[in-house]
Amino acid sequence: MSNLKYRLGLIVALILLSGYALYPRDVKTRQRRADGTFYDTTTRRVPLRKGLDLSGGMHLALDVDESKGTVANKSEAIDRALKVVRTRIEGLGVSETVIQKAGNDRILVDIPGIDDRERAIKIAQDQAFLQFQITDKTKGLEKALPRLDAIAKERGYDVASAGPKVATPASPGLSGLLTGADSSDSAKARTAATAKKNDTTKAKADSATIPGLTGGAISKKILAGQMPGQFLYDIADQDMLKRFFADSAVQAALPPGKVVRFGSDSTAIQNKVYRFLYLLDARPIITGEYLTDAKPNTSPLEGTVVEFQLNNEGGRRFQRETGKHVGDYMAIVLDDIVMGMPPVINSAIGTRGQITMGQGRDLQNAQDLSLVLKAGALPVPLKVAEVRNIGPSLGRDSINNAFKAGTIAIVLIVAIMLVFYRFSGFLAVAGLALYVLYTLATLAGFDAVLTLPGLAGFVLSIGIAVDANVLIFERIREELDRGKTVRTAIDEGFFHARSAIIDSNVTTILTAAVLYQYGSGPVRGFAVTLIAGIVASMITSMFVVRTFYLLWLNRSRGAQTLSI
Amino acid sequence: MLRIFHGTNYDFIRPWRIAVGVTIAFIVAGFVMLGVHEARYGSALNQSIEFTGGTLMQLEFTQPPNVGDIRATVDAAGFPNSEIQQFGSPREFTVRAGGHAEGANAAVETTANQIQAALTQKFGAGTFKVVRTEIVGPRVGEELTRNAIIAILLSLVITMIYLAFRFEWRFGVAAVIATVHDLLSTLAFLAIMRLEVSLTVIAALLTVIGYSLNDTIIIFDRVREDLKKNRTDSLYTVLNKSINETLPRSVLTHVTVAAATLSLLLFAGEVIRPFSWIMLFGIVTGTFSSIYIAGPVLLWIERRWPRAKGDRNLASRAAAKDAVRPETRTPVGAR
Repeated sequence: MSNLKYRLGLIVALILLSGYALYPRDVKTRQRRADGTFYDTTTRRVPLRKGLDLSGGMHLALDVDESKGTVANKSEAIDRALKVVRTRIEGLGVSETVIQKAGNDRILVDIPGIDDRERAIKIAQDQAFLQFQITDKTKGLEKALPRLDAIAKERGYDVASAGPKVATPASPGLSGLLTGADSSDSAKARTAATAKKNDTTKAKADSATIPGLTGGAISKKILAGQMPGQFLYDIADQDMLKRFFADSAVQAALPPGKVVRFGSDSTAIQNKVYRFLYLLDARPIITGEYLTDAKPNTSPLEGTVVEFQLNNEGGRRFQRETGKHVGDYMAIVLDDIVMGMPPVINSAIGTRGQITMGQGRDLQNAQDLSLVLKAGALPVPLKVAEVRNIGPSLGRDSINNAFKAGTIAIVLIVAIMLVFYRFSGFLAVAGLALYVLYTLATLAGFDAVLTLPGLAGFVLSIGIAVDANVLIFERIREELDRGKTVRTAIDEGFFHARSAIIDSNVTTILTAAVLYQYGSGPVRGFAVTLIAGIVASMITSMFVVRTFYLLWLNRSRGAQTLSI
Repeated sequence: MLRIFHGTNYDFIRPWRIAVGVTIAFIVAGFVMLGVHEARYGSALNQSIEFTGGTLMQLEFTQPPNVGDIRATVDAAGFPNSEIQQFGSPREFTVRAGGHAEGANAAVETTANQIQAALTQKFGAGTFKVVRTEIVGPRVGEELTRNAIIAILLSLVITMIYLAFRFEWRFGVAAVIATVHDLLSTLAFLAIMRLEVSLTVIAALLTVIGYSLNDTIIIFDRVREDLKKNRTDSLYTVLNKSINETLPRSVLTHVTVAAATLSLLLFAGEVIRPFSWIMLFGIVTGTFSSIYIAGPVLLWIERRWPRAKGDRNLASRAAAKDAVRPETRTPVGAR
């Protein structure tokens, strides 16, 4: 009798524990308002995590991109990249993101609920390497052009269309734009928006091709810009020029210590669209590593901007360097693209500045940029190895279907058990109810992820779970056939069925463990569900149902017949 | 008491030749189909995007579209070898484009973007939505294939070790051979149905292995017990007796599992359907192999390597005396 009390006590304890594990609790999630700010909200829900295939969302696998040079210590680089990616993705404000390292050279990112594939890829993958570089004052590109033309001819770059002689925008009075009027510590490096306005008004006023150069394929395509080191080209030539300047022979022909960078902005002159191209000092006066904060802003004058703040060391350095370059133009280069128009440096600048986004960028772009800037640059370039994107509607359908299939399966199984085993079947069904409870609680307790194959595995495991009961019941029937008393038959039945139940379930657990080890995503969910289900099934069939029998034997005081 | 298949005394082992013949014919047919598929589609197995790499998009249209239009649009977008398939309802389709542009800067997601843009141009914005996109780079596919193969082999090895430890090696080997049979016949089934082989299907395959082993173990467990009890009976007799004794359990369990699997197949939706098919077939082949593969193989092993006299726990005497019921025939491994 005391034995029975312990058994009942244990079962009740397990039920309470399961109830606790499954009790809906408050979960804090960050949500994003339409205007882009975040707010925290608490929702009450059952703590079962849904996989991406059920909740909808996106799974990304990122590899180290070695197309631009090999990476010596990939594992270490990935560790550092992981931190950056994590900061960025968590900054998106989606709850329950998972960012983890897989193997030595891969980062896995799970973002539930996000539907914009390209945006998520961009945030995770953008290298966000920020540099401030001074534009070239030595007419380096002009001097190099004859050599470049020669290379272009030699290598057969497109020489078909000669660049039209068009007006280039004049210098838009930058002195008034970048002011040292703020305290030198917080002077803002203002950039392009105003300049652009000036472009259009003054575009036709000035006309300047690069003097002294004619004929060459490249020199025909490049027009001098409004500031030293700035050039314009017809947007139609973009691909060709990009290929040209990526050529190693061309890079060798450039003046030492200078690099060519393309700009983000374009400008329209006489109905033709031109983009900017810069020759910059290769050595940056400062890089994004000193950046402590970045936030998006809009100003009526400049459109969408990202304001950033440097730490003290960066500020000092920035002040020193800008102090040396008063009167020069400073390009803000993000991932080798010059953002906006390089502003002129009027006086030393301290710890704060801003980046003007290119044209046609909305606030979301600025938000995403501040996110990646704040998180820092990626130590290695990453490329996308795998994307899985599942819409929320498909996830909902999957849940509904699985729920329907599960319900029907349970009804069928309950019917079969009741028809075949009557009272004992009823005990088994009661055990099955506890089985479902325990399995779900185990999943919640281990914070396992429910996936669609997982749900299928769960439905399946309900079918398999009754197997242990069936084994025991059949064994009890056999023992009864041999003329044993009800009590002995039950004891013997449980005893003899035990080895078969344990052996068969252990092999399934081993298989599921292998699956967990080598599977990914949805399949892991399946393996976890299967293991949880098997353990719960062994507990319910061998312990819980046994206890029910003991309870019944106790009540009926030596029953002569058993409904089985 | 409602009983089925109770107190039966079928000679299950006797028609083993026919059974083995049927299963070998099925497996051979499956492998012939693999060859046929190889010739027809260029791939023996219908491997999912996870293994082959490429781009898969599931589209849901507001109105049932013309499949030809989708195909023409995707072709024109520069992906002429794409597969377009209806997926469940007539409003849903999957577009599968193989391979990637291997250019230095071509991002894996380019294909999906281009197809989506082309379809939007053709059908108009808002007439369809992309409910699922899977883009798998070539390296990932190779890794997954390798992992899947490792997983299958490893689970075979691990269960074999466990069985050798829990049972005696003869039982372990017989159980593993039955499992290998299940793998082969399921592969044949996959080939004949040309089901898509995805990671989920591999998971189903491993579950089938577990389930079939489970079945074999329950019979072997009974054999182990009966051998201890009836030391004079031959293994042949004991095996048959054990199968008959466990028959009610086998039938009932298979019925409940089949009930669960059938409801998955019928109601759980298109995404999980290949998984359900494999499970359903697995129940059949698992049951079959526990009786007709594991049993005869055990008898054959027993005949080749009889237990030594006085072997303490099993039916040593019976085994040594008349291992495979010589009175009528030599059922297994006859040369």
